[in-house]
Amino acid sequence: MIKAENLWKSYPMKQDRPGLKEFVINAPKFLKDNNNRFWALRGVSLLVSKGESLGVIGRNGAGKSTILSLLLGVAQPTKGSIEVSGKRTPLLELGAGFHPDLTGKENIVINGVLLGHTEKEIRAHMDDITAFSELGDFINMPIRTYSSGMMMRLAFSIAIHTSPEVLLIDEILAVGDESFQKKSGKALQDLIRGGVTTVYVSHSMEAIRKTCNRAIWLEQGEIRAEGESGLVAEEYLKAQRQV
Amino acid sequence: MQMNKKTRQQLDLLKLLVKKEITLRYKRTYLGFLWSLLNPILTGIVLFIAFNIFMRFEVENFALFVMAAIFPWTWFSASVTMSANTLTGNVSLIKKVIFPKHFLLLATIIAQLVNFIFSLPVLIALVYYYGSSPSLNWLIGIPVLVIVQFVVIYGLSLLISIANAFFRDLEHIINVLVSLLFWMTPIVYPLEAVPEEYRSLLVMNPVTYLMQAWRDLFFNNMLNWHNIFVSAITAVAILLAGLLIFKKLNRKLDEVL
Repeated sequence: MIKAENLWKSYPMKQDRPGLKEFVINAPKFLKDNNNRFWALRGVSLLVSKGESLGVIGRNGAGKSTILSLLLGVAQPTKGSIEVSGKRTPLLELGAGFHPDLTGKENIVINGVLLGHTEKEIRAHMDDITAFSELGDFINMPIRTYSSGMMMRLAFSIAIHTSPEVLLIDEILAVGDESFQKKSGKALQDLIRGGVTTVYVSHSMEAIRKTCNRAIWLEQGEIRAEGESGLVAEEYLKAQRQV
Repeated sequence: MQMNKKTRQQLDLLKLLVKKEITLRYKRTYLGFLWSLLNPILTGIVLFIAFNIFMRFEVENFALFVMAAIFPWTWFSASVTMSANTLTGNVSLIKKVIFPKHFLLLATIIAQLVNFIFSLPVLIALVYYYGSSPSLNWLIGIPVLVIVQFVVIYGLSLLISIANAFFRDLEHIINVLVSLLFWMTPIVYPLEAVPEEYRSLLVMNPVTYLMQAWRDLFFNNMLNWHNIFVSAITAVAILLAGLLIFKKLNRKLDEVL
């Protein structure tokens, strides 16, 4: 279950670090550091119950990734409260938590442990993970030799085989080829049916319609529309065509 | 012993990070992990030539005198220097995966500790070369000093890593600061060689006590409890400062990385 109330998040908007001179002169101001902040989220509230799947759509810079960071807990909201029950599994960035010089298998172990499992548990799932990823012999190669699609397959396979409870997905599935898209979509739906709570950011309205039962449309850090995923997606597309 | 799952997982994580740190360093080399042993041997030979032949203070067994302090110093300086980039160099991990960030610091320190341990055979060989032998004091002194120095390094790493995330200028000056500290600490010279009026400066430097304690152990076969005590007190103070500041700035970390 995810419950977030009135989330606000701002980032410092310095184009650059101040020069030494300005810094020394204005030190108190810079240290206070509430000058000139960019508000990425302005009062967003969410409620995703267990087993629900929420799609998040919106244009670039609307605050979609910021929401995921806050839900994951790698960033703190400036204002507002967040409550997430269940183990969080992120799929936010291609290759996050992977090391290019380690092989696919070595990365499976490290990534799985980073996701909160013991090494033994991960090794027990090794065969399932490698089989699902369809990487073949590449699984024993350093992942710097992988294409982005292959990297995503590995990440996705690890994520779904480590008993996720709350899945946070940011777009990365888009790099998979047609057949893997189908396969991952189906696996995702199975997980959701099995009670996994999901927040899914995507620019593919088709994927949103298929995977999510509800969706929110973010614009400039605020919720512009909310409701059944098909309807929100349609409304969003309509608005984009008018631009 | 039954360990709960959470502890097991955290230990596994630390172990894997250390392993990654060590193996990655030698990943594309032919000699691999052997470098961990080869490096102190070669360093030892270089120092032996430099300090036994070219530069000689009026100290007996000068090469051993220097190495008794320089190997622990290398553990200290390498870890502290690397800590500047630990947070800023792992942005995608820190911003996209949840895990205890300080494990990255611990992993570096432990990996460097392993290197230090691999330099002990070189020290022991040299001790025998000079006609002496390690005593029982080593069995007490090494673990005690390792713990004290570990705490010092960890405290400093917390401070430096988080400070550099906010003020990236630090990573450009850290090498200079560390080398300043190197020359301000009696490592390649005896404390007594420093003119009297400046000696008090060196005595104010907490690392002096630590390095002197190592030297007393390896060179004089002696446990210098006074220095160990001073070092331990400083270590705890640095660690507390480090933990406090790291915790405070950690909340804002995602905004600057």
